[in-house]
Amino acid sequence: MSDDFDPLRALRPDRVRPDDPAEPTIFAREKERLMSTIGDTTQQVSRELRMPDIYARLAYEDERAALAYLVRVFQLAEIREARTDMGDSLLAWLRVGDGVVMIGHANAEIHRIHSPHSLGNTTVQMMVYVHDVDAHFAHAVAEGADITMPVQDAFYGERRYEATDLEGHRWHFAERFADIKARGGTVPDNPSGGQA
Amino acid sequence: MTSESDAAVIRASLEEPGRFGALFDRHATVLFRYLVRRVGVDDAEALLGEVFRVGFEKRATYDGARPNARPWLYGIATHLLARHRRSEARRIHATARLLGRQAPAEDPTDHIATTLDAAVLWPHVADAVARLPIEERDALILYVWEELSYEEIASALDVPLGTVRSRLNRARMSLRELRASIGRQQ
Repeated sequence: MSDDFDPLRALRPDRVRPDDPAEPTIFAREKERLMSTIGDTTQQVSRELRMPDIYARLAYEDERAALAYLVRVFQLAEIREARTDMGDSLLAWLRVGDGVVMIGHANAEIHRIHSPHSLGNTTVQMMVYVHDVDAHFAHAVAEGADITMPVQDAFYGERRYEATDLEGHRWHFAERFADIKARGGTVPDNPSGGQA
Repeated sequence: MTSESDAAVIRASLEEPGRFGALFDRHATVLFRYLVRRVGVDDAEALLGEVFRVGFEKRATYDGARPNARPWLYGIATHLLARHRRSEARRIHATARLLGRQAPAEDPTDHIATTLDAAVLWPHVADAVARLPIEERDALILYVWEELSYEEIASALDVPLGTVRSRLNRARMSLRELRASIGRQQ
């Protein structure tokens, strides 16, 4: 397209510099306010709007595929009202328990973060506690996860496994022995017997 | 349920106010980006909820013949933005300075930028846009940044189609004159 409006088209702020994400909970917060103005208290918009004070942002070349994968294979739960879809890219926040991880497009210019897929290496591992790690593992395997360490009992009193996602980010999923016992599972008497 | 038109949702919200929340779910992200483009994140955050609260108050007057309420919401947002002209001018000038510092090779408008230092060109454009009469600027931005059709703009600003055409034509002439005057300075 080329016309007299080109100069203004070029001046669209998010073309000049992709916007930093707004506070991701703004939509949930504003909707909650709207609903309370309307006098509708039957719809609870969200259980917990606040993000933790620290969380990781993972970069993907195809963050849409990553979002689908993390939900389907690793059973992370997207905070749907936080999603910021910019058409050509996407920001999403995923929750596990009281933790959050953010995913977005690999961005070499502004945030200078890359996908392990383009680097050939990664420097981070996400540490995740889940309920019933055995079931979590079975589900991930059934969904075709790339398992980099099968389920093992660790000497420090946790059962864990590791998997690599579709672009090479590493995930460590674990459950504490106390939690395994609490759900009626069995744990080894002496887990330090050889495995670490 | 998801195929229910905005018009139907608005009609239902007259009886059941809570139904109006669906409009927020459908349109808040797009409207928010529009507000951010014009006045920046801080003002946009303050305005987003207001757009929908005003819409809620006015819902009884919604024209049920328009299934999609997005132009109507654009209109409410545009009306609220009129109180934020200073933020808007600041924002477009800041964007112009930023664009001016970028390499000319990245310019989508090479054909003029090559004839003039980008650092000089873009502030001129920003000035020209900021100086347009507000009704021309509103129509122009809805057309160029938001990519609304003439019909949608007419619906948003609640003016006849011919008025949208003439406003855009006047804005187009202003930008064309700007181009010519920059050319003469070379």
